[in-house]
Order: sequence, then C-alpha cells, then structure tokens
Amino acid sequence: MDKIYNSIIEALIFSSDEPISAADLIKAIKGIDGEDTQISNEEVDKCIDEINSTYEGNSISFRIIRIAEGYLFATRTEYAKYVGYLSSEKSKRKLSQAALETLAIIAYKQPITKPELESIRGVNSDYILGTLLEKNLIAIKGRAESIGRPLLYATTTEFLKFFALNKLSDLPKPREIEEIMQDEDFIEQRNKIMMNVIEDDAENEIQGNQEEQGNNDQAE
Amino acid sequence: MYKIKLDHFEGPLDLLLFFIKRDELDIYDIPISKITKEFLDYVKIIQMLDLETAGDFILMASTLMHIKVRMLLPRELDEKGEEIDPRAELIAALLEYKRYKEMSEELAFLESDQRRLSFRSNFSKDVKVSIPDYEILLKNVTLYDLAKAFKKAIDNVKPEVVHEIRKINISVDEMVQYILKKLEEFSELHIMSLIDGMKEKIRIVITFIALLEMVKMQQIGIKESPDFNEFIIYKTEHGQNL
Repeated sequence: MDKIYNSIIEALIFSSDEPISAADLIKAIKGIDGEDTQISNEEVDKCIDEINSTYEGNSISFRIIRIAEGYLFATRTEYAKYVGYLSSEKSKRKLSQAALETLAIIAYKQPITKPELESIRGVNSDYILGTLLEKNLIAIKGRAESIGRPLLYATTTEFLKFFALNKLSDLPKPREIEEIMQDEDFIEQRNKIMMNVIEDDAENEIQGNQEEQGNNDQAE
Repeated sequence: MYKIKLDHFEGPLDLLLFFIKRDELDIYDIPISKITKEFLDYVKIIQMLDLETAGDFILMASTLMHIKVRMLLPRELDEKGEEIDPRAELIAALLEYKRYKEMSEELAFLESDQRRLSFRSNFSKDVKVSIPDYEILLKNVTLYDLAKAFKKAIDNVKPEVVHEIRKINISVDEMVQYILKKLEEFSELHIMSLIDGMKEKIRIVITFIALLEMVKMQQIGIKESPDFNEFIIYKTEHGQNL
C-alpha cells in the first residue's frame, strides 16, 4: 500500500479531538480518492504502527494510541508531570471508591438495572448513578422487561476513553472465586496503585509550592 | 473488646470483608455470632454519625441476626437432602462483592495510568455545516440527555400566576338574620361554633361585623366563657322583643 496514506491518516487523527475510528478514516479516504480505493481496517492499523515507529525513531514526545475503538494523539507518559504542571484539569477528576466500584459492576454486568447493582453493592446507589450519568461514563440503554421495567445502565465511549481502553474486552478479567482466595498479585497491584498515588501527591505538592512562590512574588 | 477504627466503608459488605480480612477468617466458615457482635458495635457508631447510610447497615445487621438464629435451629434440607448452610447466601454475596471490589482497584490502576496521558484538546468548534441527517443530529445524544434538557427547559419556564377571584355574596344583614335564627335554637352560642366550618375569610369577617353590629343594636350580649377561652353570645331582652 502507498505510504501516502500514512500521512493522510496522521492528518485526520491529528485534526480530531475525539477518538476517530478506522471506519471513519476509510470513509474519508474513499470519499476523496474514490470508492474503489483499496484500504482495509487491518491496513489502517498497520499504518498506525508505521507512523508510531517513525515517531519512536525520532524520539517524538507523542504517539497515536488505540482508545475507545478509535485512534487519538496522546503525549507519552514520561511527560505527564510537565504537561500536568500547566493544566490542573487532570488532577481534579479522580473518581471515588464508590464510583469505581459501581463502574466495575456496570462494566462487567452491563446492561444492568439499579436493583441488580444495589444487591451486589449492598447499598443504595441513586446518588452515585446520577454522578456517573452526569460525567457521561454511563448511559441509560433502555428498560428491562422485568417487573416495573427498570432502566438499564451501560458504560459509554467516554468510559473507555477515561480508562484508556480500546474496547470493553480489554478490561481485565474478573478472577474466579477460587482465585480470589489467593491474594498475592492483588496486593502487588495495590502497591502499584499506591506508588502512582504517591507520585501524584508529590506532583501536586510541587505545584502547590510553585503557586505559593508565585503569590509571594506578586506580594513583593 | 476490639477497638474499631472508623475507616470509610462503602457499605455493609465492605465492612464484613474488612472484618474477615483483618481477623484472617475463613470466608466459607464465618463465625456468625462473633462477626454479628462486631458488626452491631460498628452500627451503633455509624448510627450516631450518619443515619442515612446507617439504614443499609441495619438491614445487614438484621440479616446477620437472622442467620445467627437459623444456625441454632436444625438445618433445613435442600432437594437432594443435603443440609443448607444458613450462611450460604451471605457468602455468595460477599464473594461477588469482593470480585467487583477487586475490579474497582484494577480500574483505579487504569485511571491512574490514563491520567498520565494527555490528548489533543482545546479544539475550536467545527464550523463545517453538515447536511441534516438523523445520525448526525442525534450524535452522542441519549434519551437521558433529552430528558435532562427537557427538565431544564421546564424548570426555566416561570410559572404563570393565576389568581382566581370568586365573589361571595354575603351581606352583614343576612348574617345578622342567620345569627338570630341560630340564637332561636340555642339560647347561648360559642363564637367559635359560628365560625366553624367557614371556608372563606370574608365570611368570618362578615360574621364579626354582624356580631359587633348586633351588640351595638343591643340585640345580643357577649360574655366570657367559664374557662375564659372563648366568648359566648346570648340574646338580650331587647333582641327578643325584635
């Protein structure tokens, strides 16, 4: 296939703020170059790999990532501290334990009704469902046929984007109940999260100090 | 006696899992009476702090007590004739919850990774005019969004204030006649009994004016009731002569 498509695909992805699907990329290419242009999903995917390896060869600070069944430009994680330094948006939007728990249940059991969700969690979940709907991480996907026709909840594309997942099947598999009894890797996982949290805190602190510094300067 | 640290628990199942983990209990063989006691101690504290969430905990406490009672009774048998462990349902619920609690930690891990990525952003709005098409018009719009927009629109509409004015035809003279008629039946009347059952303010006002008018004409007299809480009207001799 022609190398020219690498640049076309790159341009299309670059100009989009939402994950752009392979189907949309092909639609644009065929729309301009004619319906008989030979290009498949697999070829698009191969192009992405080629573009990314060019970036890697040239030590470029961003990559095209596969997210929410589409492609999107994202900066590399090494630069997170610097990027986050200027934008406070990232540090604000951490989800609560209740939100994560609810999302986990919805993600694996979707579509799911509120009573089903509440029977697993053992607590009333009205408020948390409202919050997740507001954040657009879940959506109402219809009504169940059971008594009272309760609303059915499911995760959204925004959910995939939020957790940097390409598709739902990329979610880690829930362990079988027997496995849950052996807890070692679970502990390891938790330590990893803790490490990330500590780093985040350190970053926030640096940022906080910096702001203080700024204020002092102004005072002078 | 255990000291209970008031961690933040997501719910009763979370709290039970905490006890099981802390005391290294076998989830398949939970010492119900011990755990019920601890659970109740915690519920006592949480009840003082937050009645709203306490409800879910109280429900679990009663479930635990129910299980505890069933443990003392002879076991029920299932179709195969095997004994049913009264704890079975609780154990299943705990394991299921634990499964998703673990997944929530996985999600936290993913979230914290994702936070290290920055996407291209701050795009200005696309000015390209597209041909109206249902697919595009309803892009990323769910029923919930529509319902939300509708509610917002409805909430913004100022309610139209309507005052209904109804004319009540009642004159002081009519009221005087009415009171006199009443006084014919009963020689003494509590004022409150006259007003009782009157829905419109204007009737009550007219009643008072009529009473004052009648006192002035010396048709009736007003005296305090024996318990001083009310006034009693009675017919005067002058009134009787009328």
